[in-house]
Amino acid sequence: MSMRLLVVEDDDRIRTVLRLALEDEGYDVSEATSAESALDQMQSEPTDMMIVDLMLGEMDGFTCIREVRRHSDLPIVVVSARADTHDIVAGLEAGADDYITKPFEIKEITARLRALRRRAARPAPAAPSEIVLDRSGDVPLVLSTEGGVLRRGEDVVHLTLTEFRLISELAAEAGHVLTRQVLLDRVWAHGFFGDERLVDVHIRRLRTKVEPDPSTPRIIVTVRGLGYRLDLP
Amino acid sequence: VKLFQPYGLRGRVVLGFGIGMMAVCGAFALTTYFLARDYMVQQRERSVLRAAFSDAGVIRDRMRAGADVQTILHELELDTASAVLVYRDGQWHSSSPDTRPSVVPARLVREVEAGQPAFVRDVVGATPSMVVGIRVPSVSASIYEVRLLAELNSTLRLLGSVLAIGAFSSVGLGAVIGMRLSRTVLQPLDQIAGTAAAISGGELSRRLPDTRDPELATLVGSFNSMVDALQLRIERDARFAADVSHELRSPLTTLVASVGLLKARRDQLPDRSRQAVDLIDAELGRFRRLLDDLIELARSDAGLILEKGSPVLAGDLLRSTLSMSGRATTLLSGDLEVPLRVDKVRMDRAVTNLCDNADRHGGGLVALTVEDRGDEVRILVDDAGGGVPPQDRERIFERFATGRSGRGSSSGTGLGLALVAQTVTAHEGAVWCADRPGGGARFVISIPAAAR
Repeated sequence: MSMRLLVVEDDDRIRTVLRLALEDEGYDVSEATSAESALDQMQSEPTDMMIVDLMLGEMDGFTCIREVRRHSDLPIVVVSARADTHDIVAGLEAGADDYITKPFEIKEITARLRALRRRAARPAPAAPSEIVLDRSGDVPLVLSTEGGVLRRGEDVVHLTLTEFRLISELAAEAGHVLTRQVLLDRVWAHGFFGDERLVDVHIRRLRTKVEPDPSTPRIIVTVRGLGYRLDLP
Repeated sequence: VKLFQPYGLRGRVVLGFGIGMMAVCGAFALTTYFLARDYMVQQRERSVLRAAFSDAGVIRDRMRAGADVQTILHELELDTASAVLVYRDGQWHSSSPDTRPSVVPARLVREVEAGQPAFVRDVVGATPSMVVGIRVPSVSASIYEVRLLAELNSTLRLLGSVLAIGAFSSVGLGAVIGMRLSRTVLQPLDQIAGTAAAISGGELSRRLPDTRDPELATLVGSFNSMVDALQLRIERDARFAADVSHELRSPLTTLVASVGLLKARRDQLPDRSRQAVDLIDAELGRFRRLLDDLIELARSDAGLILEKGSPVLAGDLLRSTLSMSGRATTLLSGDLEVPLRVDKVRMDRAVTNLCDNADRHGGGLVALTVEDRGDEVRILVDDAGGGVPPQDRERIFERFATGRSGRGSSSGTGLGLALVAQTVTAHEGAVWCADRPGGGARFVISIPAAAR
């Protein structure tokens, strides 16, 4: 079954050529010209992935992503004509998984989409499928790599696919430092020149979901000048 | 003024004050000295004359009374610096055995013997003296009052040395005053120079602080409004470049993606169409690079913010640079384990630009070498071409320099080396072009070493 991909872009020509190219790649592409119509479409038909332009009409891309994130964990790639630090970080903070700046080649965007579609991290050979991340609260925080969920007691903690892969990679090598470069490579399949801010922003978002106190992280700790490490209780 | 030119403004002020003070104080000291000397000498002369007349009176009266000359002389109450000589009937009589008749100049004797009271200043031994001679006809004798002026002389010497010391120390005082004054006067200039340097170094928001000094206020005002205008202009230019680039991105995205679609169906196209698609593809690639470079330069002009992530090994970075641009990683050698703290993406682009430049204009890239020099790291990009003539070595880092000289082939953007220079400068480093030992050009990027 082909993936349903929603392209949210107000420039008709770019949207058309994106549809043509992505259909060539085997995606089932639907189009939206505004954030509002994109949100409508998502309610009426199931969507697997999204490409969102940040510069839209009335409702901008950031708001659109935040709205989508309230009820969906699907992979989102942001397209921006501006390579400004501020925009990119804001897009990622809003909940996007990855970004690409205009002008891009189709093969660049399909590579990003392919990486995001991979459902979970390769499980480490000897890693147990259920890992207890935190025992300090009333109920334990348990990562189930095979089930693809993170639970606090009976409740499922909602993670995006990218966040889930990120925490799985860290948990698979718990106690060891993983550099930003390694994480970029394993989670986003970015090469050497990937943007390390992707990792930082996602770690920040992940912490707000798993850490008891995100301002003083205990589970996912920063190792200055090296990278990140997941500490088991 | 020309003479003092090499000393600088401050030096000139100090020197001027020193010399001025010396001249004023010197003139003052000389005037004081001569006035004081004349006054003191006049005083002495008057006192010697008075003493001479009174002594002459006493001697005359006593001689009339028939007293012996020598006895009279002994009876006179004279101080140690004074002596009286009497000349009578071709014979000299002295009040003191130390004072011989020879102290009286012959000229004086002649005048006095001719009946003229006379006065002379002379030197007795090493001591200046005054001699006053009076002819007393009633007793047919000449009386000479001799006064040694040793005390006057030492007073004058003391006065002279005090004044000289004063005049010379005034040079130092003048220099100190000059230094203080020049510092006060030049301080606003220093401030302007510092601010101007900071502004040209990129701190466009720097301004001179307001001043209440009316003369400086004009200068500060026009300086600040000049920088305002400059900043406005730079920002407008940067915004214009950013806007243009941004507007170009959307159509370029459509073009790039559309050509991508055509390329995917390249096999289905007739031969001539295929050639056309290939041409469009190549030109589009160049156009895209040009736009990327322009945007990057515009951003640098507006103040480049480097994204220095975690340190990377030089070998890892440059190996990726070579492989990403489709070059053999075997070209890389040197100190590959040295860590770099750089904006990876921008440094990659800079090195790629140098490699492209080597391929395009330098007969091909032959080596990429890392040199660890302790506090700096050098990246050497060697090519096999004819080298760059010395007079062109700076110019080629200017924008569109290759295009102007006609050196550039159709594939260069003309911005590559300018971008390299800007990136390296933003990393507080330097880039230059030299000769490669054995022929060809060597482009050198030097950046400060990462803290280890």
